Amino acid sequence: MSAILEQKCPCCGGAVEFDSGVQKLKCPYCDTEFEITDMPQETDEINWSSQGSQWAAGETDGMNVYACNSCGGEIVADSTTGATECPYCGNQVVMKSQFSGALRPDLVIPFKLDKKAAKEALKKHISTKKFVPKSFLEDNRLEEIKGVYVPHWIFTCDAVGNANYKAKKVKKWSDSNYDYTETSYFDIYRSGNISFDNIPVDGSTKMPDDLMESVEPFDLSQAVDFNTAYLAGYLADKYDVTAEQSMPRANERIRQSIIDSFKDTVKGYDDVENQSANMNVANGFYKYALYPVWLLNTKWNGETFTFAMNGQTGKFVGNIPTDKKAVTKATLLLGAGLGAVIYGLLWLIELL
Amino acid sequence: MTKKIFAIIIAVVISFAFVISASADTYMHVADNANKLSLSEHEELENIAIKLENTYGICVMICIADETTGMYDDAYAEWIYTGNTDNENGILLLHNDGENTYAVFTSGNVDEIFDDEAIAEMRDAYDLNDSYYGGIYDYYQLAEEYLEDGYYGNGNSDNEPVITTGETEEKDGVSFIWLPVSLGIGMLVAFLIINSIASKNKSVHMQENATVYTRPGSVIITGSADNFLYSNVEKKEKPKQENKN
Repeated sequence: MSAILEQKCPCCGGAVEFDSGVQKLKCPYCDTEFEITDMPQETDEINWSSQGSQWAAGETDGMNVYACNSCGGEIVADSTTGATECPYCGNQVVMKSQFSGALRPDLVIPFKLDKKAAKEALKKHISTKKFVPKSFLEDNRLEEIKGVYVPHWIFTCDAVGNANYKAKKVKKWSDSNYDYTETSYFDIYRSGNISFDNIPVDGSTKMPDDLMESVEPFDLSQAVDFNTAYLAGYLADKYDVTAEQSMPRANERIRQSIIDSFKDTVKGYDDVENQSANMNVANGFYKYALYPVWLLNTKWNGETFTFAMNGQTGKFVGNIPTDKKAVTKATLLLGAGLGAVIYGLLWLIELL
Repeated sequence: MTKKIFAIIIAVVISFAFVISASADTYMHVADNANKLSLSEHEELENIAIKLENTYGICVMICIADETTGMYDDAYAEWIYTGNTDNENGILLLHNDGENTYAVFTSGNVDEIFDDEAIAEMRDAYDLNDSYYGGIYDYYQLAEEYLEDGYYGNGNSDNEPVITTGETEEKDGVSFIWLPVSLGIGMLVAFLIINSIASKNKSVHMQENATVYTRPGSVIITGSADNFLYSNVEKKEKPKQENKN
């Protein structure tokens, strides 16, 4: 049994959407704006049971089937989809059951940037890169652009740790016949405390982890208590990676932070290399939050390129293909130029 | 656009190298600071001087000047000589045309060849001729006679110069072996630069740490120790400077 929620305009009955520009709900039909808090959280629920006669056994595994409140159309979504669009009437719907009870997010960062900003950022991102194939610049097509609330686990803790480093100092001097180099080695030890606030870990297997970490950081001070109204007009997923499964990644980043932060206190050496580190985490707790991300897919040469933009800060990332021929050509030209300069300098040194 | 820039760079550098290499061999034996000679006269006399230097290893110079920029004639003669050649063995006759005075500067072991009597004769040979070209020509003719006397007088045979120390070094420039080496280094540096630029096309990567989420002021070091382990001293002999002579 699944229930879906639609935010309806009290004036005209149209499906309202969250407007990132005014940070309010807005009816695209009559342009009426509503405060998030003014919208009812509970609307008509339609309970829906799977029609066994239409779906074979096991066919609906990993997916949920909903009925649209507006048109009655059948919405088939995977088991993690939390908000989507009705394929028949285009109404934005929220799968309430995906965010109820223990699944309810603690926080949500509302979208600050709209679709237009994401498109412009993509254009700028591509145009500022070098050695991009000309055909990619001319022929790549924006296949899909979607605003997605990505589930994240956010971890806060106090860490106690210690780290060992091997450091070296190099001293050079000369006399009339010899050059001397003295290399002194040191064992460095540091211990201390560091506190971390809101380290995010992607809670969705559908989203590539590297893409999600690349659009960091998000400013959690602008997060608000979760309200389904923020999801209107966007896609949303519920987590399918638990907090416990996400902890190792958070710990890994905390450990590396301890190594890096303590290393910053090791001064006066020419080279410092970490040897080992230990840490314990205390006073740790986690929250469940939805982060706003614009996802853009472009297609070129039959290959899909995925870009992501932080829906709050506008940070844009995405790998762009490199024109290997252009790279080779530039390397040869620059290499020849530099070679000629070096040879010219040798002449100068020899002759002057 | 990039292609054009590189082509220009290469052209400029190569031209520059060849200009330098060409100019290195054309230092002045006949310094006509008073503009008394025509271009062809100057060239002809210069060739005579070069031939003398190549044959006997001694630089025979002459300078005609309107004025000596406030310097004494002796000092000016030395300045002109050392400024125009690095041959340690040679002679320069300075004619200060403005004051109508003469000065002679000798360098290295040429006193036996150009003694006072020889110098006086060479100066007179120059002075007694009505034209500057003729005077300089006579000066070089006489200088050649003295050089020839000194050459055979010292029992030399074949083509050995009179004085072997400090003879003029022909600067051959940098060997062409260095061209592929330079290109190799250039290619390596270019590879690093271009790949560094191209790598910026990849902007998706995992974060290394969570330093950005560190609570401000929360890094507290409670224990620290810097312990010396050991040290190594490496001794490397300095490369000895080769004596070009």
